[in-house]
Amino acid sequence: MAIIEAKNLTYTYPGGTQPAIKGVSLTIEKGDFVILTGPSGCGKTTLCRCFNGLIPHFYAGRLEGELKVAKLNVTESPIYEMACHVGLVFQNPENQLFALSVEKDVAFGLENLGMPRDEIRKRVDWALQMTDIEELRERAPHELSGGQQQRVAIACVLAMQPEVMVLDEPTSFLDPLGAQKIFEVISELNRQLGITVILVEHRLDLASKHANHVVIMDERTIVLDDKPREVFDSESARLIGVGIPKATKLWQMLRQNGIRLDRAPVNSEEAIQLLRGVLKRDRG
Amino acid sequence: MSVFEGFRFRYIHSPIHQLDPRVKFLYVLIIFGIAIAFLEVLPLVLLFLIQIPFVLLASVQREWVRSLKGASFLAILIFVVNFAFGYFGGTYPSSMSPWEYPLAMSLRFLVLVESFSIFFLTTSPDHLSLALEQSHVPYEFCFAFTTAIRFVPVLAEEAQTIMDAQKARGLELERGNFIKRVKNYIPILIPLIVSAIRRSLELAEAMESRAWGATEKRTNLYLLKMKSADYALIIVSLGMLICSIYVRLYISVPSLTMLLT
Repeated sequence: MAIIEAKNLTYTYPGGTQPAIKGVSLTIEKGDFVILTGPSGCGKTTLCRCFNGLIPHFYAGRLEGELKVAKLNVTESPIYEMACHVGLVFQNPENQLFALSVEKDVAFGLENLGMPRDEIRKRVDWALQMTDIEELRERAPHELSGGQQQRVAIACVLAMQPEVMVLDEPTSFLDPLGAQKIFEVISELNRQLGITVILVEHRLDLASKHANHVVIMDERTIVLDDKPREVFDSESARLIGVGIPKATKLWQMLRQNGIRLDRAPVNSEEAIQLLRGVLKRDRG
Repeated sequence: MSVFEGFRFRYIHSPIHQLDPRVKFLYVLIIFGIAIAFLEVLPLVLLFLIQIPFVLLASVQREWVRSLKGASFLAILIFVVNFAFGYFGGTYPSSMSPWEYPLAMSLRFLVLVESFSIFFLTTSPDHLSLALEQSHVPYEFCFAFTTAIRFVPVLAEEAQTIMDAQKARGLELERGNFIKRVKNYIPILIPLIVSAIRRSLELAEAMESRAWGATEKRTNLYLLKMKSADYALIIVSLGMLICSIYVRLYISVPSLTMLLT
């Protein structure tokens, strides 16, 4: 069942001379883990803003085409209604936390919805537990590391129990270890709770093993939209300059040198298995 | 600014920190009123000493002393100015010697600083905003208040980064006369303001994405409830108020000059 359906989406920022995205059509199934990638300025962030209604409600401007997220028509539903279905996590963790304690921050969205206090408390506990930050409950945001802050930001969104979680380059301010932890948390949410994840990311090496759907954008529109293996091994992905996982790259290099292995690996685990199998076969 | 040092918050678990901010504010107001009511040194000294147990109970002595130190310069200034005006033809109560009235004025100021610093040192900004909210101040103001406090350390860090960056480009901050020095800070301020505006946009986006303004009737995770300690403080403060009114009206407080001569 499709949870996001975009048809011929075109949007121009107010005062912009050309559209930031044009002719974007995309279908995302419920429970998918989607990686959205492409060179800087290709319209990824703009597309993310469309998913929860920041475009067109917050940014104004003209949105053409049709976009349905969780059965809601984005142009007709106010942002706060979209917010209950689509959670958006931003790049800079610092600028999405505004309370003086982690607990209060996670409760913020629920407070806005006017939920009863007991329910808020239950959900806050649950969200903190899911993101593995229970021990940070009383801390102030500025005392936390970037990775911890970003996990708090995810908890904030998670507490609202959305069906879709959109993360716009959540790891670009983090070190590799922090990034890996974030990916693990997201993947856990995707597998355990069936939350549909859309992850905008450049570090495909770490992220790709969790994904089952990859979308590549370039020049304001979608150029590739398929399973990870097909996308990473395609010629156009290489030409656009997407950071193809090293495992896939290795496979391509081997192929250039005349060594043909049956299928392209998309992460290091798969590459190890593949190479092990081949080496064993050769020895035997 | 060492005066403000005393007003920075550090969370400690103490009976004073647990008190309802509204009650603490009532206490501050009553101390304020009593301090205004008396011109004599003796009751003001008493008022100053009475508050010390609170400070000890909250274990904020260090910060408290620091805020008093910061205020001492102003207190001395108040003394000097009052003394000068009294000496050169001003009027002061005839029962006092020329130094007692200015001394009382400085003491009064110190009592005010003391009570306000107890309030701010033992009240978390979160609690304060909650108290405002429950006193029917619109939520937008309370939110702006806590957010401002939340971003103070962030902006301070950013200002430092910008200063380093500009110094690396050859900006000399500590050079020239006073006006030149103030002007030197323009290349720091402009990037700071620009980035603050950009930050505020991102904040607004994040707020919108978390259902800001979904309902008129917003709930709050916490709720302030009056406990027995709060009622005790109310009774103590009201008792102090009543005593002082009685003393003011029916007992003539001797001035230090009268006691000494």
